[in-house]
Amino acid sequence: MTELKNLVKSLLEEGKVTKVIGYRMYGENNTKPYIAVTPNDAEEMVLNTDCRNNLSVYLTKKEIINGGKTGIVAKGCDIRNIIALIQENRIKEEDILIISAECKGVGAEKGSAVYANKCVNCSVKTPHLYHELVEMKGSELSQPKDKYTEAKEKVLAMNSGERFEYFSNMFSECIKCYACRQACPMCYCEQCIADMSIPRWIESSATDRGNLSWNMIRAFHLSGRCTGCNECERACPAEIPLSFINKLMYDTAKEEFNYESGMNKETPTLIGSYNTKDNDNFIQ
Amino acid sequence: MEEKRITKENLIKLGSNWVNDGMNVYVNNGKKYTLMKLHEEDLKGFEEAPPLMSYKEIVFPKTEPILYYKKSQKEVEIIEPKIGGVKNIVIGAKPCDAKSISIMSKVFNWDYKDSFFNVRAEESVIIGMACKYNDEHCFCTSVGISPVSTDGSDLFLIPLANDNFGVRIISDKGKELISKYESYFTNGDSEESENVLSSIPIPEKKFNAENVKSWLDKNFESEFWNTTAEMCLGCSQCAFVCPVCHCFDIVDEDYSFTEGRRMKNWDACQNGLFTKHASGHNPRDKQPKRYRQRVSHKFKYYKDKFDEYLCTGCGRCSRGCPAGIDIGEIVERIDKLTN
Ligand code: SF4
Ligand code: SF4
Ligand code: SF4
Ligand code: SF4
Ligand code: SF4
Repeated sequence: MTELKNLVKSLLEEGKVTKVIGYRMYGENNTKPYIAVTPNDAEEMVLNTDCRNNLSVYLTKKEIINGGKTGIVAKGCDIRNIIALIQENRIKEEDILIISAECKGVGAEKGSAVYANKCVNCSVKTPHLYHELVEMKGSELSQPKDKYTEAKEKVLAMNSGERFEYFSNMFSECIKCYACRQACPMCYCEQCIADMSIPRWIESSATDRGNLSWNMIRAFHLSGRCTGCNECERACPAEIPLSFINKLMYDTAKEEFNYESGMNKETPTLIGSYNTKDNDNFIQ
Repeated sequence: MEEKRITKENLIKLGSNWVNDGMNVYVNNGKKYTLMKLHEEDLKGFEEAPPLMSYKEIVFPKTEPILYYKKSQKEVEIIEPKIGGVKNIVIGAKPCDAKSISIMSKVFNWDYKDSFFNVRAEESVIIGMACKYNDEHCFCTSVGISPVSTDGSDLFLIPLANDNFGVRIISDKGKELISKYESYFTNGDSEESENVLSSIPIPEKKFNAENVKSWLDKNFESEFWNTTAEMCLGCSQCAFVCPVCHCFDIVDEDYSFTEGRRMKNWDACQNGLFTKHASGHNPRDKQPKRYRQRVSHKFKYYKDKFDEYLCTGCGRCSRGCPAGIDIGEIVERIDKLTN
């Protein structure tokens, strides 16, 4: 298998891509995103178990995608977002070149000895859409505790009033920075509903009411679209467990419609399609 | 300087007394400045990183009404909100946080005297604590602060052996706060405290802030900006967690056709909408221009106007940045460009 550095170097030398979005080391057990433009830049590129970022978010930024083919280093879970973006016509497959690897999982955070939650039961360790394959470095970590299943059972047992209260409390710490949105590859709207002022759909103040409306609406907008990469939660400075509500919606899409976002670029999106065999007869 | 001594147990009891006196007491539990009424918390933070969020909310809340209005066909009635009336105490402020109120007070008292800020600042008492933490993101010594500096503290704690603290009385406010509770303290031993303080390693300066400023004076249009923070997601995490970032947005929220309130909400220069004009024009239309604003505001504009850097070197913004952007490292790179 080609070494990542050499691959990126030759891709840039041969002009097959104009740039490659990848990772470089950031201290001893962390990495950060960067863009290699010259063959020399490729020297720093790494892919290991500290590559937490989902780089596909950069494919939605006009300042970065501005002509030519873009290379991107992507783990299986990141590829799901790339596929979802292709499904939603946000990017074209021919404009990108995916460099992937058999995934070893990533650490929960810098220096962490356990895997990130998303890596538990991951179904895409073997990449499902790529153009070049390399090797991922890093040693084995241990499994994190499953906090999700228990919390899900608890919430499903609640009545609607209790759920309302549960989520109001969860979101009350929100400071309305919108880091969750900015870090999310699927939150690419030119004008987010949260930024609209005429009419103002969401109270922009970080009051309990404003926080609940914001986080609920974002969860709705990501239903059937969120791939579970958890970048929102990683970015949130208020440490709100955002992945929880997104995962609940994800599970619902799977249970009700047998749909998982970002698995197949040929499938129409859940929101953008309907089926005459739908369970709900109002749509038939 | 007057010095006393207190056990940790008594200090926490003292905190509960202040809560009973009707004050808001925030304790650094090593992860968060947590409100004591809600949680029984241990005091930590001597060897821990600055909590994820600063406590700037006590003087500059994330959201607050600045007026209420009632409209009729003929007139608009304005109702002023009540501000203050509750003392805020912070126990265990990091030296890089303790200075934040005095830094921000310059902008909130420049031409307009902001009573929202001032009333609360006047009612806040900061109990700082020496700091033995230091990581690759910290750079307090490069901006004139240090792990042992008492700047901005009203009382200052020095962790001693066996869960004891030396308590230095820095200001009259601090003295007054404890005057009712003399019995919780014993006599202080300045020498023991001095020994602890001198055992704290003082990190070396990472950059010369004056050099950085003189580079910024001349390089508004430099190529440097285009490649420096190109991975920035514009997420604003950095500004929201920062102890001294103070930008806000004003919005009116109607409850009905006749009533509503005007809110002041945190905002940040890394947000693309921040400078977007009603015409659609945006003078900071790209992320590099926004990042340039962040660095320039902190290391040039604020210094020009108020003779103070708008940064305490706490490193929070860098620790939390989802794109791995480290302001200390960037400013260090600017410093290197000057020699
Ligand atoms: S979720 Fe799967 S593909 Fe993504 S980092 Fe974890 S193991 Fe790898
Ligand atoms: S929250 Fe909704 S409107 Fe806002 S960016 Fe995300 S998907 Fe778009
Ligand atoms: S990142 Fe967290 S604090 Fe910021 S808007 Fe999203 S949920 Fe709120
Ligand atoms: S925290 Fe990082 S990515 Fe977010 S706005 Fe600040 S510099 Fe940009
Ligand atoms: S700019 Fe960063 S390092 Fe400086 S005070 Fe703000 S959060 Fe701390």
